[in-house]
Amino acid sequence: MQTLHFILALLLFLTLGAGLWRAVVGPTAADRMLAVQVFGTTAVTITLLFAQAFGNAALRDVALMFAVLAAVTAVAFVRRAWSEVGVDDDSE
Amino acid sequence: MDTLNLAQWVFDSLTGTGLLWLAWMALASPQLIRAIVIFVAFGLLMALTWVRLDAVDIALAEVAIGAGLTGALLLAALAKLTAAQTEISKSDHRPRDGRAVRALRQLPAVLMFLVAAGLVYSVLSLPPVSSGLSVEVDANLGTSGVENPVTAVLLNFRGYDTLLEIFVLLLALLGVWSLGGLPPQRVAPAGPVLHTLAVVLTPVLILLAAYFLWAGVKGPGGAFQAGATLGAAGVLLQLAGWRPGPGFARVHWRLILVAGPALFILVALFTIVAGRHLLEYAPEHAGTLILLLESGATLSIGLTLAGLFFGERPDDGYDNDN
Repeated sequence: MQTLHFILALLLFLTLGAGLWRAVVGPTAADRMLAVQVFGTTAVTITLLFAQAFGNAALRDVALMFAVLAAVTAVAFVRRAWSEVGVDDDSE
Repeated sequence: MDTLNLAQWVFDSLTGTGLLWLAWMALASPQLIRAIVIFVAFGLLMALTWVRLDAVDIALAEVAIGAGLTGALLLAALAKLTAAQTEISKSDHRPRDGRAVRALRQLPAVLMFLVAAGLVYSVLSLPPVSSGLSVEVDANLGTSGVENPVTAVLLNFRGYDTLLEIFVLLLALLGVWSLGGLPPQRVAPAGPVLHTLAVVLTPVLILLAAYFLWAGVKGPGGAFQAGATLGAAGVLLQLAGWRPGPGFARVHWRLILVAGPALFILVALFTIVAGRHLLEYAPEHAGTLILLLESGATLSIGLTLAGLFFGERPDDGYDNDN
């Protein structure tokens, strides 16, 4: 079971690679921010799988922290950076 | 090598190279928004790396401060910067940099190089195999008043370091205020979605802060994680259009900011008067004192972080209320 959990976490981690490519390439600021939000959500899952695989309950607290803080970053982006940066930040 | 070891090896190599790659992408990016977003991704990957290294306390702090609050602070700073740049390009009176200014710009690079060289030297000079001080910490954990070795080190064995760290945070906020702070800003009222999110998530964040504070006694958690969660609640409220009222900003806010450092100093004086060393607690009172110090520190850290995001001096913007 431990091996299965870890391999599932590894597969999820590999999907992050695709997400990170979007964060780096863009083209719009929202694309990048959404990619990082996917990163946050996947990190929740990976941490929960680790908690199960290694029997470490404290890792569930880390997953909880990932989940609530991702929401705050997303709101900060929409409220502070989104209107200022505009839709096509690559045109600068 | 069995499957689990192979999978762990692949995971760890990918996080290691991924961290270096993201750090370079964040530093080398000419667009600030891209650099910030990649910095947040770097913080998340760093937190996963701490999880893999079994440093759950640091993982919690990295998620809360490194990825969450710093990301929000940088995004807010970018918004200010974009507005300021528009002003500058309108007036177009930018003086040319003199030679001294250009030379000064090289200074951070030189300093960073020296720090990096020092770090490389100290890593190379470490003994190849060492248990560090963990054996001594485990031996004295019984008298520390808590069961989490990290909390025992931070609040008991090395309480002096934490005392100074609390003051560093307070100094950061005083620095922002001394520079004049931001001009009072009008934030557009929140739409129904954001309003609902703030109403639902803020109590959850406050509850979570209390949980992390309490959890720090037995496992990963403690004042910094709890304070960061409380700070996130403050940031969320501000993003939803909330402003501290004049009475709160002038009196209560300042009192809470000072509460954590003041409690620390009182306890330090108390231990000296009682004939012990600075912050050396009697084993029977250690648990209570640590919880007291952590509670004060949580409130102060939370309001300091929220205040850094607020950026305004507490006296400004309320002149009409007198």
